[in-house]
Amino acid sequence: MFDNILSGFSAILAVGPILGIIAGVVIGITFGAIPGISCIMAIAIMLPMTFYVDPIIGITMLLAVYKAGIYGGSISAILINTPGAAASFLTAQDGHALTKAGKAGKALDMSLFASVSGEMLATLVLILVAAPISAISLQAGPIEKVFLLLFAFTVIGSMAGESIPRGLLSCCLGMLFAMVGMDSITGSSRFTFGIDELIGGFTFTPMLIGILVMPEVINVIRRRKVPHHELAITRSPNPADNRISFGEYKKVFRTILKSSGIGTFIGALPGLGSSTAAFIAYGEGKRTSKNPEKYGKGSVEGIAAAESANNAVCGSSMIPMLTLSIPGDDVAALLMGAFLIHGLTPGPMIFFEHTETIYAIFAGFLITDLFLLGIARSGFKFFVKMASLKRYFIFPCVTVFAFTGAFTAGQNMNDILVLIAFTVVGYGMRIVGLNPAVFIIGFILTPFLEQNLDQAFAIVGDDYGRFFASPFSWVFIALSAFFVYSSMRMKRKASKVPAPAQQEPA
Amino acid sequence: MDRRKIDVVLSTFLIIVSVIILTNDNLAEGGAESDLGIMFLPRIVAGFIIIFSATIAIQSFLKLSRGAALEGQELITTDGFSGIFLYVGIFVGYWLAVPHLGFIVTTPLVMLGVAYLLGGRNWVPIIAMSVITPVLIYCGSREYLRVYLPTWSL
Repeated sequence: MFDNILSGFSAILAVGPILGIIAGVVIGITFGAIPGISCIMAIAIMLPMTFYVDPIIGITMLLAVYKAGIYGGSISAILINTPGAAASFLTAQDGHALTKAGKAGKALDMSLFASVSGEMLATLVLILVAAPISAISLQAGPIEKVFLLLFAFTVIGSMAGESIPRGLLSCCLGMLFAMVGMDSITGSSRFTFGIDELIGGFTFTPMLIGILVMPEVINVIRRRKVPHHELAITRSPNPADNRISFGEYKKVFRTILKSSGIGTFIGALPGLGSSTAAFIAYGEGKRTSKNPEKYGKGSVEGIAAAESANNAVCGSSMIPMLTLSIPGDDVAALLMGAFLIHGLTPGPMIFFEHTETIYAIFAGFLITDLFLLGIARSGFKFFVKMASLKRYFIFPCVTVFAFTGAFTAGQNMNDILVLIAFTVVGYGMRIVGLNPAVFIIGFILTPFLEQNLDQAFAIVGDDYGRFFASPFSWVFIALSAFFVYSSMRMKRKASKVPAPAQQEPA
Repeated sequence: MDRRKIDVVLSTFLIIVSVIILTNDNLAEGGAESDLGIMFLPRIVAGFIIIFSATIAIQSFLKLSRGAALEGQELITTDGFSGIFLYVGIFVGYWLAVPHLGFIVTTPLVMLGVAYLLGGRNWVPIIAMSVITPVLIYCGSREYLRVYLPTWSL
């Protein structure tokens, strides 16, 4: 493994990948910091631009956008109390309180150091754990893989949706859309209704941009009358208020380490995501803190807990995707699509078929943290200025990038129609409480399920009892039942807590 | 808008579609025989869609018939929906116009339209952005990605 890591570093330390990482970090922070744009939008828009470059450059660039975008979300959370994602909600509480006290620089510094620390730890875990897990999962045959995929569908559907039926329905709809077109095993065409354009199925990139990106644009269009908030860093005359000293970092290091561990663990479980990690780590940080009363009122330790856990999820969410082909959340699903487009099929075989590429990507993941630290630290003012651009400058450009991205996939105008149709579907799904990310995960995993199911049936023949002969099958059935049960319990508990305020659906 | 009513209508629609998938043999054509059968997985999924849709529909219907007050996300506020229709309209127009007028001619108009919709009235920078961005994208796509965006064909 050590040799592979070294060869990964030698592959990534070239002009192309480094420029890709720098571009990814700058784009990620900028997009992440703009209120209303999440890192998923940045990745989806950047995805078509990576089609024509080497996978090492393209994938590391997208991963840099991801990491930097998650960090960028904390900038708007701290400066204008607008968390770009639910995971930054807690950062906004403490960070904005510090901003109001004239200590924005301290909050931004803490957020950056905690983010980078959390990401680095999770990346190290990813590098050390992924290959051994993949070696174990290589033992799984088609029958075990069927149960594994069913486990993934159940867990993601039940944990990620607004309610269990809505989450699982989202997954089923994604599965159904994935079955449109010619079947790769039998050559039959399904649900094409005589329309030749449907034989190839729905093109992934326009569908992805339509389902995940465009509804966010529509949300901004819908709220266009809400006044624009300009980002600005408040400066204190006392220099100690504008930065984090080594002593202050040392004080919260234990919290960072613990929260990063929590984030890494939660991220490796499919379906839970960064918000859960941030909330659990924040709660744990508060429980064990010497000053729990400061949490929520401008606690540097609170920012450290939330941000390190939130960012640790970036690295560890790659573990199930790369070892078991299970994307744990929407960003992982998007990145899995990127891997597939670049000819890399995530799963245990990736470590044997594309050893150099995958370790170069890992090395890129680590190097991204250093660039993130350097670029973010030296360019706070620039990113704040970029993120303060009025939305009537940003969203016309996003519209055109979405159009170009959808067209680039197949150089076909029908893909634009797919983009428009799935934009409407994606927004409609948000309104009725269905989860678009789960839909995408169902869409991506269905071909794998169908292929393995077909092979499994060929193996067992008429002896259906062989489906349950392996202990793997029982383990995954038990895990699925456990996750559905615990999700039901969590949702029942949550429904007993009175809702804080009525929220808009999308 | 009451989301529970939408739940009932949408679930009914999904159940009807699922029943069609379960009962219609003409939804797949051609291809070789397999152990599984080409409609095996779609029918399993259709069965699950019926179960989950029915669960959602029954829950929403019971709440409606009890006259229960709207909770949390069950209330869909329709403020700003006109903007959504305009935006989708602009996008459909963009899709229809690009093959004939070309990317470079259509895109500035679309960008101006979206900027106007978002309240932009600062015309000089908006026009500059609307002209420069499409040209950069067009040249960048052609030179670096080898993607040829549509040109004027009238």
